This record gives sequence, C-alpha cells and structure tokens, in this order.
Amino acid sequence: MRRLWAVLLALLVACDGDRRQQEARLSVGEAMGSAADAGFARAFEPRTLRFPEDHGAHPAFATEWWYLTGNLRADNGRRFGYQFTLFRVGLRAGEPPPDSAWRAHQIYMGHIAVSDIDGGSHHSAERFARAAAGLAGARSSPFEVWLGPWSLRGGEALFPLSLAAADDDIGLSLRLQAGSKPLVLQGEDGLSRKSARPGNASYYYSFTRLPTGGELRIGDRRYRVSGHSWLDREWSTSALDEDQAGWDWFALQLEDGRELMFYQLRDTQGRPHAFSRGSLVQADGSSRALLADAVRLTPLRHWRAEDGSRYPVAWRLQVADEGLDLVVRALLDDQLMDHSVRYWEGAVQVSGSHRGSGYLELSGYDQAAPDRRSP
Amino acid sequence: MKAFSPLLLRAGLRYLSRHRWQALLALAGIALGVAVVLAVELANSGARAAFELSAEQLRGKATHRLVAAGAPLADEVYVRLQREPGAPPMAPVVSGWVRVGGQLARYRLVGFDLFAEAPFRAQLAGLSAGGGFVRDWLTQADALVLAEATAAALGVAQGDTLDVIHQGRTAPLSVLRVESGSAAAGQDLLLVDIATAQSILGLDGRLSHVDLILSDDAEQWVRQRLPPGVQLLTVAEQAQGVTRLSAAFELNLTAMSLLALLVGAFLIFNAMSFSMVQRRTLFGRLRAIGVTPRELFGLIMLEAVVVALLGTLLGVLLGVWLAEGLTRLVAATVSELYYNVSVTAVHVELPALLLAVALGLLATLLATLFPALQAARTPALTSMSRAALEQSVRRTIPLWAVLGVMLLLGGLSLALLLPGGLIASFAGLFMLMVGAALITPLVIRVLHAVLARCGLPGLWRMGVRDLDRHLSRLAVAVAALMVALSASVGVGVMVDSMRGAVHTWLGDLLSADLYVAADAFAEGETLPADVVVAVAALPLVAEFSRYRERELPLAGRSVEVIGARLAPPSRQGFDLIDSGATVWDDFDAGAVLVSEPLAYHLGLAPGASVELPASGGVARLGVAAVFRDYASEHGRIFVDEARFRQLWPGQPVHTLALFAADGEVAELRRAVSEAAGRFGLAVTHARAILEESMAVFERTFRVTDVLRLLSLTVAFIGVLSALMALQLERGKEYAVLRALGLTRAQIGALIASESLLMGLLAAAAALPTGLLMAWVLIESVQRRAFGWTMPFNVDGGLLLQTLLIGLLAAALAAVYPAWRGAQRDPAPQLRED
Repeated sequence: MRRLWAVLLALLVACDGDRRQQEARLSVGEAMGSAADAGFARAFEPRTLRFPEDHGAHPAFATEWWYLTGNLRADNGRRFGYQFTLFRVGLRAGEPPPDSAWRAHQIYMGHIAVSDIDGGSHHSAERFARAAAGLAGARSSPFEVWLGPWSLRGGEALFPLSLAAADDDIGLSLRLQAGSKPLVLQGEDGLSRKSARPGNASYYYSFTRLPTGGELRIGDRRYRVSGHSWLDREWSTSALDEDQAGWDWFALQLEDGRELMFYQLRDTQGRPHAFSRGSLVQADGSSRALLADAVRLTPLRHWRAEDGSRYPVAWRLQVADEGLDLVVRALLDDQLMDHSVRYWEGAVQVSGSHRGSGYLELSGYDQAAPDRRSP
Repeated sequence: MKAFSPLLLRAGLRYLSRHRWQALLALAGIALGVAVVLAVELANSGARAAFELSAEQLRGKATHRLVAAGAPLADEVYVRLQREPGAPPMAPVVSGWVRVGGQLARYRLVGFDLFAEAPFRAQLAGLSAGGGFVRDWLTQADALVLAEATAAALGVAQGDTLDVIHQGRTAPLSVLRVESGSAAAGQDLLLVDIATAQSILGLDGRLSHVDLILSDDAEQWVRQRLPPGVQLLTVAEQAQGVTRLSAAFELNLTAMSLLALLVGAFLIFNAMSFSMVQRRTLFGRLRAIGVTPRELFGLIMLEAVVVALLGTLLGVLLGVWLAEGLTRLVAATVSELYYNVSVTAVHVELPALLLAVALGLLATLLATLFPALQAARTPALTSMSRAALEQSVRRTIPLWAVLGVMLLLGGLSLALLLPGGLIASFAGLFMLMVGAALITPLVIRVLHAVLARCGLPGLWRMGVRDLDRHLSRLAVAVAALMVALSASVGVGVMVDSMRGAVHTWLGDLLSADLYVAADAFAEGETLPADVVVAVAALPLVAEFSRYRERELPLAGRSVEVIGARLAPPSRQGFDLIDSGATVWDDFDAGAVLVSEPLAYHLGLAPGASVELPASGGVARLGVAAVFRDYASEHGRIFVDEARFRQLWPGQPVHTLALFAADGEVAELRRAVSEAAGRFGLAVTHARAILEESMAVFERTFRVTDVLRLLSLTVAFIGVLSALMALQLERGKEYAVLRALGLTRAQIGALIASESLLMGLLAAAAALPTGLLMAWVLIESVQRRAFGWTMPFNVDGGLLLQTLLIGLLAAALAAVYPAWRGAQRDPAPQLRED
C-alpha cells in the first residue's frame, strides 16, 4: 500500500513544487473520491507475476512506482541514507489521441533524497515529465525506467542495476547487485489487500537486500559509498478505504540476515487498521506474512516540523512470536520530503533485541492538509 | 539676476492682462507644440513597448535559445539533451501564428510543456496551482488558457469554445482557464499544451525552439552536444529581427516624431517671437523712463520662463490626452500588420516626457532670447518705432537666408553625398527642413517684389505690402506652415513612389493566373507532396512554377532562400536591375538571383558569390543577377529548384503558381480544389493577392496620413494665432482705414487677402522643399534603411492638393480675424491715442 496517497495527491496538484499553499494539499478522502480511477484496471485477485514483463510499466493501472531506499557508508565511515523513487501516474485511462507524439495520459513524478547523517542534513529534489516523446517511461527488457536524466537501468536480466540521478545539490550514481535474497511476493502471492472492499488492493513485490556501491555527491563533495538497498515495486488503481488516513511503513534489514517489512494503516481517528500487514524474510530467503495482530507498534518520540506537524520518529516494534523487540530510531529527525506532496521518509537505525538499519515512511501527519487527524 | 522693481513687474503683468488674447495664444502655441511631440512619442513608444512586452513574456528568464537554421527543430534534439546527466534547465516551445474566427488580428499560439516551465516563466508554471488542473491540461486535447484581457477582447469565458484557424483549417479550442492579475499568462497569447500546438500548427515531431538558462559552463556543455544544423543563440541575438517591429514601420514612426518635433518647435517659436515683437512699444517706453537694458532683458526672460513653464505644463496634459487616441491608432495598425497587441493605457515614459519638456522650455527661451536681446540693446526712441524694427529685421533676412542655404546644402550632401548611416540621413533631412525655413522670409520678400510689380487691384496691393511690412511677425508663421506642408509633400511623394513601385513590382511578379498555397497569408506553411503533383498534372495547367522557402543566415542577416522551378512567364516577371547577358542560363546552371536590398547591403553584383549553410557543409553560389524586390528588407535569394533540393533536401513546396490554358481560370480553379481533396488549400487569383498586398501597404501608412493631418492642423493653428495677434495689434490701423473711408467689407477683404497670400507663399515654398525632402527620403533614408530603390513618382494631384490645403488653412485662419476686424467700431480705437 505504501505511498499510494502520495501519488494520488501528486496527480491532483502536480508541478506545484515551490508552492506551499494549503489549497495544493488535499486529503486522502478527496483523493480517493476522485473520478480519475474510471476505466483503470483493479487488483481483485492474485495473479502469476511474470518477469521480466512485470518489471516494466502497467499503464492499465492508475498508479505505480519503482521505490529504492538504502543505507550507505563512505570509505571514511561517514553514513548516508538515500531515496530514489519514480512514480507513474495515470491521469486518464486509455490511449491519448495520436495527433502528436507529445500527447500523454500518463505522467511520471520523481523524488530523490540524500540524508547526510553525520553532516546532519537532508537534501531532496522533485521532477515531473509526461510519459511521451521519450521524456519519461519504463520498459522491461532491457529494463529501464527514466524521467529526464534520472534513470534506473538494468540489462536483459534485471541486475545489476545502474542508478543515475542528480540535482543542483545532490547526485547519485550507484550500482545495485542481486545479492543472495530472492524476489519476495508481498501479501497473497503478490496481491496486497488494503481493505475489505474487493479491488482495494495492489500488486506488490520487493527485493529486500541489494548490495549497493558507487558514488554520492552533496554539493561539490563526492563520496565513494557502499551498503544495502531495498527495492519496492507496486501498482494499483484504488487501495485506501475512506476511513484510512495514513500509514507508518517500516523496511528493516537486521544484522542476523533477516528483513522485516510492516505497514501500519491508520484510520481517521489515528487508530491502527485491521488491514495492516507485513512480512518477515528469513536469512535463507523464505518468508512469512505478518498480520496486524502479530505486530505491536508503540511511538516513543515525536519530531515537530516547522509547520507544527508531529512525526513519530522513534518506535518500539514487537513481534512476539518471532522474539523481536526492536527500537527503531530516525538517524536524523528532519528527513521531511517537502515537495508537491509532504511526507517523512528517512534512514533509521535498529537496536533492542536485534541490531540493524532500514527506512521508515510516515504519511498522513501533515497539518497543512485538511481533514487530517494526527495521533 | 537682481530683483526687479515692482514697477517693472507691474508693467509686465499689466500688459499681459490687457492683452489676454496674446498671452493665451502664446500659451496655446507652446502647449500645442509640446503636446504633438509628446503624443507622437508616447504613441510610438507605447506600441513598441507593447510589442516588446509580448515578446518578453514569451522569452521569460531564458538566456539562450536552441533553433535550427530556418526550419523547426526536431524534438529528439531536446529529448536527447534533457536525458543527459547534468543537463541545464530547458523548456521546449512550439509556437505559430493563427487567426481566431471572426477576428482580423493574428494571435500567437504558444504550446509549452508545463513541467519544464517553472524555471522559465513562473506565470506559466503557476497555472498548475489548484486541484485537477494538470490532469485537464494534459488530457483535454483542446485545453486553452488565456489572460483575462485577451479573453475579454475575444469575448470568451471559461468553458467557452474558441475557433482557431491555421492553414485554412479550423480547430476548436476550449477555454480551460482564464488567468487574471499580474500572473496573467502572457497577453495576447493563446496558451496550449505543446502537443496541441504541434497538432494545430502541423509540427508533429518538431519544436519552434528550446529555451535554456545557461551559465558559462552550461553553455559549453550544450555547445559540445549540439547536433549539426542546430544553433545555440543568446536571447539578444534571437530577439534581433524576429521580435521587433518591422524596420519599415519603425522608420515610419521615427520620421513622424521628427516631423512633430520640427512643427512643434516652429509653433513655439512663432508664438513667442510674435509676443515679443508686438511689445516693442512697451519696451521702448520702459527704456525711455530709465529702465536699464539689463533689467529689461531680465524682465522679458522671466516672463518667458513663466510662460514656458505654464505652456509646457498645459502641453504635457494635452499631449497625454492626445496620445491616448493616437496610441490606439498605432496599436490597431500594429495588430493588423503583425499580431494583436493591446495597449490598455498610455504610460508616460520619462524620455518622451523629457524630450517634450525640453522642447517646450528651450524653444520658448530661444525664441525669446533674440527679441529680448534686441529690445534690451536698442536705444529708447528707436525701439518704439516699428518701422525701425522691421528695418533691422529686413537687414538680417539675407543673413538668415545665407545660413539657410548653407544648412540646406549641408543637409543634402550629408544625406546624399557623404557616406553614412540612417542617422546621417535623418540629420540631413532635419538640416534641409530648417534651412528651407530660414530661407522662407527671403522668398516672401522676393515674391512680394514680384507681386508688387504685377499691377494688382488696390486692396490686394495693400495686402501684399502689409505682408512685407509685417514680415517680422508673419515670417515665422509662414515658415511653420511651409514646414508642415513640405513635410506633407515629402512624405506623400515618398509613399506614392513606393506604392507605385510596389504595385508595378507585384504586377510583374504575379504573372500567373492562380496561386496555390496552404494558406495564402500565413507563414511557414507547406503543401503536401501529393497535392503538388496532382495539381501540376491537371490538363488545364499550361505552365506552372513551384516555390520552396527556407530562412538561412548570411553575413549576420536572416535571408529568405527560395528554391524555384520558374516557368518562362514567371521569369519575365523579374525586374533585373543588374545582370549579365546569360542570366537564365546561369540560373539554370545553379547561379542565384539576389534581391536589391541584399545586393546593396552586402555589395553584391553579378559575378560575386554568396556562401550559405547547406546540408553538406557550406554552399558557395554565384550571383547571376540582382532583381528589384520590396518583399523583405533582409533580402531574398532565388535558386533553381534542382540545386535547392540538392543543398537543402526535404523542404516541401510552399506555393504553386499556375498558368491556365486558354484563359480558363475559373475552370482551373474548380479542378484545383477537387484535386486537393480534403486538404485545405487557399487558391488565389493574382489580382486578389495584389489587392491584399496593397491593402497591407495602405494600412502600414495609415498612421502616416493621420500624423500628416495632425501636423497640418498644428500649422493651421499657428497661422490662425499669428493672424489673430496681428489683427488685434492693428486694431488702430484698421480704425484709421475705416476713418479714411474703407468699408467693413473692405477691411475684412484686406485681412483675408493677407492671409491667403501667406498660405500661397507657404505652399509655394513648400513644394520645392517637399520635393527635396522626398528625394532625400527615397534616395537616402529608404536606401540606407532597406537597401531598395524606387522610381521618383510625383503625383500632380498631391502638389495641387498641398497648395489648396495651404490656401484653405490660411482662408480658415482668416475667417475670425477678418470678421472681428470688420466688426469693430473705429471711434474708441482712435480716441485712445
């Protein structure tokens, strides 16, 4: 489910990067009520995902993303977090008129970010392009998804992947290897249900631990870095129910070789939703699903953003039947993605019963948006 | 300057209050002169600014532009560049001219990519605020955004449909949003998505240009990646020639403000010198009671300063008011000739204001300076005698005339003989006019001497003699009228000559029966290849010519290169000014015909050669002949079609010229329309093109006509005020004449005859001056500005008309003074002394 609302909002306010107007921010409720979904396919039941085809775009669905996050370390020990996300947004179902190659019913939105943990700073950038005339797009073989100069490129096989993206402040030039972990199908064989209503679901698979190396730039300084990344792929048309307001999403790589993914959906009252889900990947690559009642989440500390919004940046995460009692803390409080859509996405460190690192995403806490009740 | 005694100030004030009419006339003269100059300047700068604003709104913050020489740019160039890491901000633009259903003006349709705009045109990127806009903008293929003012002018609101016509095809657009406030998305622009613009303008896969914001490093980055045929220009380079008003129109406006300046200066000079001359009696009395020359000079100059300030202030107010109407007129002309500009309000620009104020103050003070010096210098008794004054004025007349002749000859040689640019031409023109004005008093004297010997009837003889007697006061008025009339003749002859030349040239050039184009009066349109083949193969076509066009850079100019398959009758249409014996053989062998303006500016003659960028590198083409051409001041080059297609392959046909067999033009026209099928064609008779071209010509010069009329009006007021003042002053003289037995009618006739004589003299002097001026305008100004020549075409009607206007102005100016002079009762006037 993660980040779906972000995309839905984006399509309604797209290209408003430098504005901070309240009108530009819409509630999830409004987004869900949008008629844009008309004519798009929906995820009703599990289907056999086929590769490499499913690495490419699924324009029959309204939204889709290629979502990379990772924790990296420079040769000199300096710690970094990074995010690279390309969203595909269907504005309208069906093919555009053929009178110009620039006609598009689909657009791409890109977000990149670098967290300089030891330097105490977070930098991010946003970009848009229409999915036409070669400005932005995705294909499965050879794999490539791109938005202007930002691109993620593979070969006939998906890996190794080359990532290239830069803005004035930051630059990413990374190479991602397959590693030892297989592709993980989330939910029921890749169908991730977000509510009781049929069709409110997505297709979702992940690569949970990708050895990563390359170069990272902040301003004019360049660092040789290495570490691990996490790739999420998800596409859907409609996922959230009307009473769902946001979520807290965890992607943790533990030092014992396991990975844990869990998203907690929150209702408009801020209470956890019964359709919160997750998965635990064992060191040998096998995985099991985690239901809402298997996981207990307790916020430990909040960070207050400039606009007054409060983000829970430290958590206690317990999975009793796996013997996990983890403390997840943001490596940097301010890892706010303040663009067309505002959310918190940042590198975290895991302590407690097990050690590790990962990424945390907090959505639906933005005070500026109407119809928002933060916990 | 020391303080004046109260007596002196009182004397000055008393005089002015007793001669309210004279004070008012002086004020009116100054005010009118200032007003005309200011109004013309404001109207010109207003139209120019509106035109440039539109261009600037389009450019936004861009520093550079990517263009392909003479053709639209392939959009892959942009797509490839923007995908490279490190690419600077870039924004693709597709734009072109369209007409809107039911409107005469042309509008610029601009297609852009919303996502690329933020760094360039904040107002465009700002469009995206608010829910749902981006989706509608991208997914509604007919979405249109306009500024509030444009929407109001077109009478559309959000949700309405607007029909846009391009290449004769109509595309309905739907108004998605009307932008208000200062964020207005560019006035007079029709804003659409880049895909919509490509579709409507027939530019699929092409861009008009790409805007860039480049630092020095980024400029290098781009230059290293430029594909062949693509140029990186700075915005300043690009702006030249493309976004400016056409040079012809600009020149027209400049000439007109110059004329206004001249007439305005004369008017002020007239008013002030008159007011001074009239008061010599008072000055004489003041000197007689012991006022020192210094004090007198100071008094006169103080008064002049006060009058100058008041008159200038009035003139500025009047000028701003006048400018509103004039600006609308100029803007309307610009709209019809170029594209719609809306001048909503007159902005009083500082340079124009300074010019007008400086003119008002300086001309007034200068006009006062000589009489004031004279009044101060002359001994008490003589300054009381008018005869003495006239005597001294008459003595200086030959001096003025000598100076005038020198100025006139100097001006002529500056404009015609010496090398120099356009500014030298205008300076020469100005000197010529001032010189002619200075000679005018002598001309009056000479003509007076001639007329005096002609044995005129009594009253007329008196009128002639009066004119001579009052030369000091009337000469300036006559000179002002002369300047206005001669400018009218000069500009009139130039326009006539140009009209005649253009008409002949077009008539020769348009020798075919029918012309086929995608849209006869739009730019950059081409015909589909199958239509060209089908039409040319029609059995009714006896002969045909075919034209392909492309704009290319040549020696810093943008030159139109035309690849032509020329049928024999089309060849005859060229008026070859300079050619070798084997022109057409050379042409068929690949040599080119260059237009006169191009030949003039680059110094080309048969045997020379030009170098043009071509697909295989630089092409060197020999010049076969120079032909007369008024189509473009930048220059045109005709190349044989076969050679053209080798050098610039892939350029489609723009125009077909068809010669009908056996004169069956109507039949042919029907057949052509059928052969074209669904493709929208404009099939036009040569006559219709000629008429439309001449209509455009007339529109270009409509402003000229209005300004001519305006300057004549001002000169007319000058004559009127001079006569009025003279009549008021001579009240006593008329009383004596009445007492001697002249009837009221005879007094009226006397005044009228004097006035008519003034008009006649002014017109007589204006004719040769005007012809000289036309000569300079044609041979120097036109040649240096545009590089073309034209036969001198003097229309007798125009000369006669000028003569009549001069007389009419004088007659009208005499009506009131003559009536008043006749009405006055002589007794009180006589009793005064």
